[in-house]
Amino acid sequence: MNQAVPAFELREVHKSFGSTRIINGVSLAIREGERHAIIGPNGAGKTTLFNLISGRYEVSAGQILLHGEDITGLAPFEINRKGLSRSFQVTNIFHNLSVYENIRCGEFWAAGYRYSFWHRVGGLKDVQRRAEEVMERIGLAKRRDLPAGTLTYAEQRALEIGVTIAGGSRVILLDEPTAGMSRTETAQAVELIRQVTEGRTLVMVEHDMGVVFNLADRISVLVYGEILATGTPEEIRANPAVQEAYLGALHKENADA
Amino acid sequence: MKYQPLNLGRWLLWGATATVFVIAPLVFTDSFALTMLTQMGAFIIFALSYNMLLGQGGMLSFGHAVYSGLGAYITVHALNLVGKGAFYVPVALLPLVGGIAGLVFGVLFGYVTTKRAGTTFALISLGIGEMVFACVLMFPGFFGGEAGVSTNRVVGRAFLGLTFGPAVQVYYLVAFWCFACMAAMFALTQTPLGRMANAVRDNPERAEFVGYNTQHVRFLQLVLSSFFAGISGGLSCINFEIVSAENVSAIRSGGVLLATFIGGVPFFFGPIVGAIVFIFFVVALSGFTKAWLLYLGLFFLLMVLYVPGGIASLVLMQIPVIRARRFGELVWPYCLAAGASFVALAGLVGMVEMVYHLSDVSGGTQMALAGVGFDARSGLPWLVFAALLAAGLVALRYASHFVGARWGTIQHDLLARGP
Repeated sequence: MNQAVPAFELREVHKSFGSTRIINGVSLAIREGERHAIIGPNGAGKTTLFNLISGRYEVSAGQILLHGEDITGLAPFEINRKGLSRSFQVTNIFHNLSVYENIRCGEFWAAGYRYSFWHRVGGLKDVQRRAEEVMERIGLAKRRDLPAGTLTYAEQRALEIGVTIAGGSRVILLDEPTAGMSRTETAQAVELIRQVTEGRTLVMVEHDMGVVFNLADRISVLVYGEILATGTPEEIRANPAVQEAYLGALHKENADA
Repeated sequence: MKYQPLNLGRWLLWGATATVFVIAPLVFTDSFALTMLTQMGAFIIFALSYNMLLGQGGMLSFGHAVYSGLGAYITVHALNLVGKGAFYVPVALLPLVGGIAGLVFGVLFGYVTTKRAGTTFALISLGIGEMVFACVLMFPGFFGGEAGVSTNRVVGRAFLGLTFGPAVQVYYLVAFWCFACMAAMFALTQTPLGRMANAVRDNPERAEFVGYNTQHVRFLQLVLSSFFAGISGGLSCINFEIVSAENVSAIRSGGVLLATFIGGVPFFFGPIVGAIVFIFFVVALSGFTKAWLLYLGLFFLLMVLYVPGGIASLVLMQIPVIRARRFGELVWPYCLAAGASFVALAGLVGMVEMVYHLSDVSGGTQMALAGVGFDARSGLPWLVFAALLAAGLVALRYASHFVGARWGTIQHDLLARGP
């Protein structure tokens, strides 16, 4: 891998809704193959940042590069085709389709079948094999033919990750993958994320500090739409500014709880 | 290996369908039934093509008749040109001309309509429907104005000995195309585009994040759908030997929506059932009573309110019960409910028919229903029918509680037993 070119890069990205400035000049370079966590208090703009990167929102100013290529202003599907895939904080799957169908829908484009109406899906062995493999990995092989809407919350979260990784994108964005999960479910989810992002670039927004310090190679702290610090978990822990702005408050919260 | 039973079932189902197509005219031999069967065949294609939009793509269209109607107009002109000897296309292949015309107009109009989904799509489709209808009346040179364009389907050399003069030959032509289109449309649901149409229907946003331009998915789905609509239009042109503004009208667009919904939008075969029921209402019932449209409207209303999954869902709901050998418990409640509905229906029909009869008294106020003659002006028949309706509705209320209770117990047991 070319270490010189970051997997993706934000250059002085700004986003305002009306006169409210949500993202205020964020610059960030994510290295190829690293697992990067973005943390920060509620309302810091973490999800907005994801929406900008994945093309859901348009940036007000600044530039976004994916593997050195400018993707600013592209539509979500164009960005996805360039190898970036994301999950959502609020589960966003195809509720009436079966688990298997959900995974397959995540694969078709990347597998090159695009808008084909001349391939019989039953005959696409490559898609089928990959779907079985993904279902096995996310632990939903036994739920294969159930409509996604009937799964439990934790299963739907796993499926959300499954749909995101099914296409084999090199850059994966996960938005609070463990939100609302119990402790055991979270532990399983962390293992799952570790496995499925092996050899890929992962950027995740996460509130659970256990998950963050367990998974991330590097961490960025976002406060009021600005990056306060970026560094290894140790550096972030030791950073007094971060402690004051965020971790301290969180530790206190945890101590109270 | 484990999918074999399903595939076998599928083969049996398609085989049975083909058999029904072949033997239907041998069972229903009179010419009226044959006309009806022919119309059903053409309408099945139309309704299935409509459900490619509504059921599979989540697009509620109010202007689907545009594609079948324009397909029919192009077919009628092609047929007339063949008649004049301008070129030769076997009549049997003319529906394909209609299909290609439908496809071309699908590309043209679909580019505009599919830019948006949901309500906006519905409104644009309505607008395009009205626009095309207006254009048809504006250019009588091509569209023949109110009277339409007529033709003669017996042209050119006989193709494999078929002249398509006799109605039964037309029936088999329609049956062939109907079966082929059914198979093709089913096959389309099993392609990446067909699957993604479902995905875009369920969650367009997510589809964008797995690499799909939802507008393209809707556009392609609509273009393919209008191809089949055009084939259906071509067939109805050959069948009726006339194409008029009615073929592109909002009434026809509404009709196909009605038929598809009655049959069952969530299921592939729903529109087939719907088309059969709908044509029965339109063709058979309209011969018996002037009030047929009212009955159709009421039926549609009841379906939307109580059976949103259509007739197909009613049938499919019984399958797990039958598998569990519990259907016997439901026979008696079903019979009661059916009896009660029949009584209520008799009362309703009596009163509706009297109202219609009184609206045109040129033939006197004497009338007959089910062989019993009476005077629509006298009070007694009104009392009797009102009593029937009331008694039927009360009985139906009890019967439906009965059905509901039995159904609830069975479902509870099935759930407890697990899948």
